[in-house]
Amino acid sequence: MGGLMDFGFLDDVRRMNKRQLYYQVLNFGMIVSSALMIWKGLMVVTGSESPIVVVLSGSMEPAFFRGDLLFLTNYQEEPIRVGDIVVFKIEGRDIPIVHRVIKVHEKENGTVKFLTKGDNNSVDDRGLYAPGQLWLEKKDVVGRAQGFVPYVGIVTILMNDYPKFKYLILACLGAFVLIHRE
Amino acid sequence: MASKKNGSSALKESTDGTNTKWSIEEKPVKIDKWDTAALKNALDDGAKKVMLDKFGFVEKHTLMDIRLLICTIAVAFAMFALIWDYLRPFPESRPVLITCVLSYFLLMGVLTLYTTYKEKGIFLVCLQKDKAGIDPPNVWSLSSTLRKYDDTYTLHMTLQDGIKHKTRSEEIKKSVASFFDENGTLCFDLYEPEVRMLQGRIAVDKKE
Repeated sequence: MGGLMDFGFLDDVRRMNKRQLYYQVLNFGMIVSSALMIWKGLMVVTGSESPIVVVLSGSMEPAFFRGDLLFLTNYQEEPIRVGDIVVFKIEGRDIPIVHRVIKVHEKENGTVKFLTKGDNNSVDDRGLYAPGQLWLEKKDVVGRAQGFVPYVGIVTILMNDYPKFKYLILACLGAFVLIHRE
Repeated sequence: MASKKNGSSALKESTDGTNTKWSIEEKPVKIDKWDTAALKNALDDGAKKVMLDKFGFVEKHTLMDIRLLICTIAVAFAMFALIWDYLRPFPESRPVLITCVLSYFLLMGVLTLYTTYKEKGIFLVCLQKDKAGIDPPNVWSLSSTLRKYDDTYTLHMTLQDGIKHKTRSEEIKKSVASFFDENGTLCFDLYEPEVRMLQGRIAVDKKE
């Protein structure tokens, strides 16, 4: 009879006054903000625009498997050397790639050109680069792998594969925080 | 149970239009009785209702407003960082990000200090205006505690005298079971006298 207004689970929210409602929204905002600020803080500390990435392909097996979590740093003063595992971006591709450096050319003035290859791939990455691009440069680098946690990122992969699942979880969590009074 | 439900719906229909309104003042407070936070909120709200609606004291929002302000500024810093980083991608936005991150965590620290040392669980500050309107008002503050695996609800009431600035406080400790029925409905008729008694005890003390 009451239609929409009869849902019992909304009673908590309906009993709140304006300040409490606003605080409820702020509370949700602070949870999001805390996560965001930790991420941005990590960015500042590591110098990398994406300090934690998940390995999405098997091209670096057996070093990294699908779902491994990588921790990256990108300090400008550290030189790139052959054997380093770098994460780089290619123009026109959304997802960064994790591969190993196999050739480096350094000039006196500090400019660097390098070539990468996946450990599990039979050829180097020139086929993956933008058309006509033969080398990567420092500006393409997102970071260098410093450590990894195996398989933790599998949740991320699942969420990427099933975007609806991701939005469902986010919506549920958001609704819970907004409706539930602490 | 069924008859009760009918009763409440009859009440709704009689007070025409309340079932489409957002506010549910008249509806009995029913909560999940195993949820400690919900129990505490229901009792706090009840005490608030007694102080404001029954005694007619005026609520003072300063304490809560300061908390809201701290939170708002903190969230604003975070949102600003997000937008700035979007407009000027990372290496360029670094100084702004450092500022925002530091300010945000500083504000979170301030918020923690504020809630533990200033608010101390006070959920209501209200003013009892002098009837003649000459003396400054008496200030009542209410705080409460209900620990997670404990059924004892402590309601703490403090009165700061408007004239002499003396403070008196008293508290009641009672099991939550004495205020809720089996279904988790707050029995306001049992709770109200307790709050009134506590208030009365302090008011009488004051006179002596």
